[in-house]
Amino acid sequence: MKETRTKIVNRLGLHARAATQLVNCASRFESDIWISLGDRRVNGKSIMGVLTLAATSGSEVLIQAEGDDEAEAAEAVGQLIRNRFGEEE
Amino acid sequence: MTLALTGHGIADGIAIGRAHVAERSEVEIGEYRIDQGEVAHEIERYRQASVAASTQLESLADKLGSESGATASEIIGTHIMMLRDESFNLEIEERIGEELCNAEWALQVQLEHILTEFRHIDDPYIRSRGEDVAQVVRLVQHKLSERTSAVPLKGIPDRLADTLVVASDLTPGELAALHQRGVAGIITEHGSTYSHTAIMASSLNIPAVLGVRLARELLQEGETLVMDGRLGLVYANPNQALLAHYNDAQRRSARHRKALESVRDLPSTTLDGQRVSLQANAERINELEAAVRNGAESVGLYRTEFLFLGAEVPDEEAQYKAYCEALEVLGGRVLTIRTLDLGADKSFEAQTAISTPAAANPALGLRAVRLCLRDTEMFKTQLRAILRTSAHGPVRCLIPMLTNVHEVRMVRALLDEARHELDQRFIPYDKSMPLGGMIEVPAAALSAGDLARHLDFLSVGTNDLLQYALAADRVDEQVAHLYDPQHPGVLQLLQYVVEAAAKREVPVAVCGELAGDRRYIRLLLALGLREFSMHANRLLEAKQIVIQTNVDRARRVLEQWREGHAEAYDLDLLEMIDASQQEQ
Repeated sequence: MKETRTKIVNRLGLHARAATQLVNCASRFESDIWISLGDRRVNGKSIMGVLTLAATSGSEVLIQAEGDDEAEAAEAVGQLIRNRFGEEE
Repeated sequence: MTLALTGHGIADGIAIGRAHVAERSEVEIGEYRIDQGEVAHEIERYRQASVAASTQLESLADKLGSESGATASEIIGTHIMMLRDESFNLEIEERIGEELCNAEWALQVQLEHILTEFRHIDDPYIRSRGEDVAQVVRLVQHKLSERTSAVPLKGIPDRLADTLVVASDLTPGELAALHQRGVAGIITEHGSTYSHTAIMASSLNIPAVLGVRLARELLQEGETLVMDGRLGLVYANPNQALLAHYNDAQRRSARHRKALESVRDLPSTTLDGQRVSLQANAERINELEAAVRNGAESVGLYRTEFLFLGAEVPDEEAQYKAYCEALEVLGGRVLTIRTLDLGADKSFEAQTAISTPAAANPALGLRAVRLCLRDTEMFKTQLRAILRTSAHGPVRCLIPMLTNVHEVRMVRALLDEARHELDQRFIPYDKSMPLGGMIEVPAAALSAGDLARHLDFLSVGTNDLLQYALAADRVDEQVAHLYDPQHPGVLQLLQYVVEAAAKREVPVAVCGELAGDRRYIRLLLALGLREFSMHANRLLEAKQIVIQTNVDRARRVLEQWREGHAEAYDLDLLEMIDASQQEQ
């Protein structure tokens, strides 16, 4: 299993557009992907899961990936978050 | 008697027309038990309904296409994603199997379960997404009950011009269908400013007032309604004075739109004969198309960051393909491609292809060209892709966030290497592709003459330049009041850049938000700027201002203001310039 922690840095947090991008990104991988915030853990390929996580700007999430492409998967999801989902500041 | 109701006003605009109170054909959600042997069939029934629902939304998104911009199709895209949510679907299927209940009921129970989770979310925007889940679930329930209508609203006429639809709630899909029938405005009992219905109404320019409690009981079928989308007001049965007021306001706003339309094909020349080049900032294909539609002379800023947000740095071919697609949309207009403008503030992780260490002060850290000059292979890949694109049409290359001449020399050297590498592969490119630099760093602005000596054009990025010059982040509301484009120091900086560029005979454009802000265009013209690059939806308004401006008068006001600004600091320069335009 590959794990990485990252802070949500885009201004709006995991709102619909960002959550959609995250799920799209996670779904490209074979590995199971989990996103945790505090004691909540959701499926990174589930839009409803990611939305109910309600991760706001500044909160730190844990990304876990397990499977053949776990390293790439964790890295891609982490990078997307750190890149502010491409939002302008 | 006039009845006034209030709600959340969405999208500026006035609608006057007859009320049509839409009755939702509510699906009765009953619970019934199924046998163990029927589970597989029930699950299959659920899957088919879910697929039918997403097929319907997909065809809606197709129909909406580019005419309504990205927002509407993005929202529908999120709904489609919800329908395909594997976790959600699995839970429904498990519930059917374990509780031996019908699919409609399993959905209902699961929905209530999810809505409880959403209700506990503090962020009002994310909390509102519960409404989307409910709408999606309702759509599947409709499909299960074998209703096939695109609009699960009863008795909606085919043509809705001059009709305001009053509904309990509208899904984005329903709203899109109403839009196609030409609805004049919408009023709903539920939904907030944050709801997707609101966002979509706004992107489709449908005047809307949402969250009007008991609207369906208080408003009568067929009565006259006046809706003020800006103030969130609905008047039923308006008296003559009110109706006259709003008829007048509606005419004025229609005139405004018509006036904007009428400038579409006019040249952008000022009253005193100055030629002004109006250009577009763009990233996505639909923005480029809008730029062409709204008469952009060229694209002054084409952002490339979106290509770099995936798991891998895009290779030369992928970039080349994307840039060529953009160029093709422009039909011969110049495409100014800005090289990668990412950095420590959008921090990449250490082990990835583009790596930056965590910066103490990201806005002042390793970003844009600074990052590119460190990761030169990545940068050269982008330069090669841009050069190759230049073989197919007019392309310029723009370097963001230059600080000094040394950086320009390094960029030039890398560009030469990139050319050489293409030569070795016998790949054609435009040997005289112009290279420009963005002026965003105050020290670069004050040495713009030196930079211009090595560059073919300059572009002032006002967003960053102002932030750095005023040491104030406009997003930080504690200090946003300091972010003042009229600050004499800022005007000096801009003036300096314009004069330095003129001396070197290098064109200079302005491409920050200021360029498309109708309030500031005359001031920028007075400062000597003649090239403005802005979001496509600002182009017509900008042209309207340009063709009604006497630059010479504006310039004289600026000079007077400068001489006296210590005393007259409280006088509003923008008002003074506007007033000068009214003189005979």
